[in-house]
This record gives sequence, structure tokens and C-alpha cells, in this order.
Amino acid sequence: MTLEVKNLVKIFDGKKVLDNISFRVESGYTLGVIGFSGSGKSTLLKIISGILYEDEGEIITPKDSEIAMAFQYSALFDFLNVHDNIAFPLVERKDYRKKYSKEQISKIVSEKLKMVGLEGIEEKYPSELSGGMQKRVGFARAIVTNPNIILYDEPTAGLDPVTSTMIEDYIVRLKNELNASCVVVTHQLSTIKRAVDYVIMLYQGRIVFTGSVNELLSGRNEYAKQFVNASIHGPMNIATS
Amino acid sequence: MFELKKTLTYQGYILLWGQIRDFLITLGNIGCDFSRVLKYLLSLRVNIKETIEQSKRFAYDSLPISLTIVGMTSAIIAMQLAPELARQGGGDYTGTLSALVMIRELAPVMSGFAIISMVGSSFASEVASMSVTEQINAMRVLKVDPVEYLIVPRFVAGGLFMPVVFIVSATFGLICAGLVSNWCADLSLLNYITSLWHGLYIRDIFIALLKTSFFGATIALISCSCGYAARGGAKEVGLATTKAVVWSFLAIAFWDFVFASIFYL
Ligand SMILES: Nc1ncnc2c1ncn2[C@@H]1O[C@H](COP(=O)(O)OP(=O)(O)OP(=O)(O)O)[C@@H](O)[C@H]1O
Ligand SMILES: [Mg+2]
Repeated sequence: MTLEVKNLVKIFDGKKVLDNISFRVESGYTLGVIGFSGSGKSTLLKIISGILYEDEGEIITPKDSEIAMAFQYSALFDFLNVHDNIAFPLVERKDYRKKYSKEQISKIVSEKLKMVGLEGIEEKYPSELSGGMQKRVGFARAIVTNPNIILYDEPTAGLDPVTSTMIEDYIVRLKNELNASCVVVTHQLSTIKRAVDYVIMLYQGRIVFTGSVNELLSGRNEYAKQFVNASIHGPMNIATS
Repeated sequence: MFELKKTLTYQGYILLWGQIRDFLITLGNIGCDFSRVLKYLLSLRVNIKETIEQSKRFAYDSLPISLTIVGMTSAIIAMQLAPELARQGGGDYTGTLSALVMIRELAPVMSGFAIISMVGSSFASEVASMSVTEQINAMRVLKVDPVEYLIVPRFVAGGLFMPVVFIVSATFGLICAGLVSNWCADLSLLNYITSLWHGLYIRDIFIALLKTSFFGATIALISCSCGYAARGGAKEVGLATTKAVVWSFLAIAFWDFVFASIFYL
């Protein structure tokens, strides 16, 4: 499913958080979005997923597209246990209701849990899990309906390197299996290298770099170079971001 | 130099305007949520499982405090009324008066207050904390309408089960009043029950049931709506809860007035 974002503008309290953002993600590709904290990455994902409205511009997705999002802070339902969290869309969504039996749902849930490296925690509540585990449960919940446009908000932040690698591989595998278009917001170069096909970089609401991962790492773009080298000196100034 | 922005009048005006704006926004939110709830009710799309869950909570959670408040109030009133009536030779009217006061006003309003403090506030803080932790956003991305999943079941539970709470606590209150009049004015229980019978009108009971149903649904709606509109963090959760409680009190007073004007004027 092709996802297209055209001339997107989002204004918060008179400040342009996103300023004329355009890009296109074909199915089977993963776009990485990088940028300083506060540069509008989460806002971009929220607009694509329909949580926030754009002020100008448009989001173009095919009619039968199914958008999923893994939230930065998991956003698990704290009144439901892990099983019910992941099963939530299968149980409560209009078009899924009564489609699966209880046993089938339990099977799907433990399947998805296994995929994100968690087993046997179905009965636990979100507050009984570590942050990283919550994140992975949120991840499992997002993909339980086999979406074809998948948005990940910092999927590997706060995870150990091994689990991160597992998640990254999973992002790639899932993309191939579902032939999905993915957008991954991340700060981690490892995630960019393993899971992403090309990258845009946001700074002060605008795209300051677009290109492949190799181009990002090549250092030809000043912004990209500063980000990759984690340098304080460069075209970007943290204080004004 | 004269600066308009620093004058007291201007500041007062800004404050007042802020209040009015806040009031209008809240009213708008409640109205908006109500219309969406109504849409689901009219198309008979009610999540049964959640409704049962919320009904249990509504009836069960509020019953102890509701019984206590209504029981105490009626006992206190009987304590002051019964000896006075007995002294003036009207002891036989204690039951009648108790029934009238209890069914028409005391039990509905007092159990309403109990429900606001027990259930309404917990609805509001629960929904508000879901809203500020993005659980409601997550629900929307998962294509489950939060209004259908969260508000409609609570609304229905409120409308159906507040009358139950009312009936139980009114009965309990009348029993308390009888025992207290027996104890402090030596009125016989049999007398009390006979006179109670005279004050018990089917019409009153039906009006009270309808009224409490309105109370319950309104409390649920207002509480969920205030919670739903919360954005920010812990402070906003607190503010939303306070707002829900205050608005629910006002709404009860409002409905009570409306019902009294329609049926008893
Ligand atoms: N609901 C809101 N109301 C007002 N301003 C907001 C709101 N949400 C975000 N902002 C502002 O928009 C900007 C971008 O926020 P966003 O959460 O998209 O950043 P981000 O790139 O995801 O940062 P991080 O890497 O820290 O997650 C910030 O300056 C933030 O203050
Ligand atoms: Mg973010």
C-alpha cells in the first residue's frame, strides 16, 4: 500500500511543528525518520494514523489500507492484561467481532507474543512489565490485524542491543510478509542500518535530508553528518530546535 | 503611563472570559459526546459485555455509601420530626411525611450525590488518565471507537442502575426512619407502616425512577466527557475529575428542578 504525504503543515500554538513535509513510501519499503527530540516526528506519525489533524496538505492512502501504529510509550490499556491487550482489536473491532473463536484468538496472541520474544506473560498486567516488555507488547498489539501501513515510533528505544536486533529483523520480516509500507521513527543508527531503506531527517519542522542509508552515512550532507557523528557543532543548533 | 493590560478591570474581564469560555467548551463537549452516544443507542449498538461490567461497578460500588448517606439522613430527619409531630398529636403522619420526602427528594438526590462521589469521580479520573497516556488514541488507531467502548456502556449502566440504587436506599431509609421514630417518639412500627402507606404514591415512585435514571445517565455522561477531554498530565486528570464532580452536582440540581417543575408545579 503506497503511503503518500503531501505538503503537510501542522501548527501548535502558532508554531509550525511540521512545515511542508512531503514524501512517499511504496509498499515493501521502510522509511526512516530521524531528527532531534521535539522536531515533530511523533506528530508526523500521529497525523498519518489519524489521531491528529493536519492544518494543511494531505495524507493519501488507498481505501483498503489498514494503518497500525506502535506508540512511543506503548499506550497499553492498563485495565486489561497482556492477552486482552493484544486481542483487543480482534475482540472489539466491528469487522473482526465473532470472526475468531476464543481458542483461535489465544493462539494468535501467543504467536504474536512469541514473535516479539515474549512468552507466557498473557496473564500479566502492563504495570507488571518492564518498559521494554511493554513496548514489545504494544508492538504485538499493533500488528495483530496484519496491517499494510505500519508506523513505529521509536520501536527500539530503551531496549537492549540483542532485543533491538530482534525487533529490527522483525520489522523487516513483517514488511516483506505483508508487503507493507513502513515508517520508522528512530534515534538509533543500528535500527537505521538494519531495518530502513531510506531516510528523511527533520529539523525545525522541515526535511533537511532525504536519501538512502548509505547517503546518510556518507557524510555528504552537513545535517546528516552532524547527526551521524553526534556532533554539537554543525548546521543544527539544539537550543533552537 | 496608562496600560490597559494592567488595569484591574481588564484582568478581571480576562478572568471572567476565561471562565465563560471554559464553561461553553465543557458544555459543548458534553453535548457533542451525548450526540455520539445517542447515535450508538439509536442504532442499538451497545457493547453488552462492557455494559454488564460497568453496571456491576455502578450498582455495587455505590451501594454502601448510598445506603449510609440515605439511611443517616432519613434517621436524622425522623429524629427531629417524629417527637415534634407526636407532641402536636400528629405522630401518625410521620410515615406519610417520611415517604413523601424520601421518595420525592431525599433518596434520589442523596443517592445521586453518593454516586457522583463513588462512581462519577472514578469514571472521570479513569477516562482522563487513559486520555493523557494515549490509550484513547491507541484505541482509535485500532479502529475501536472510544465513545462506543468507553462512554456508551457507562451511560447505559448509569441510566439502568441508578434507579436500582435509589430503590434499595429509599427502602433502607424508610426502614431507618421507622426504627428511629419508634425509638425516640414511641411511635409503633405498625402505625408507622400504615401511615407510610398513605404517603406512598405509585406516581411518585415512577417519577423518582425516571428522575434517577436521568441522574445516573447524566452523571456517567458528564464524568466520561470531562475525562475524555483531558489533555496533559497528572494535573489535568485531577482537574478533569473535579470538573466532572462539580458539573454532575449542577446537573442533578438542574434535573431535579426540571422534574419538579414538570410534575409537581
Ligand atoms: N498536543 C500538543 N500541543 C502543543 N504542542 C505540541 C503537542 N504535541 C507536540 N507538541 C509540540 O510539537 C513539537 C514536536 O513534538 P513531537 O512529539 O512530535 O516531537 P518528537 O520529534 O517526537 O520528539 P521525541 O524525539 O522527543 O519523541 C514539540 O515542540 C512539542 O512541544
Ligand atoms: Mg516522539
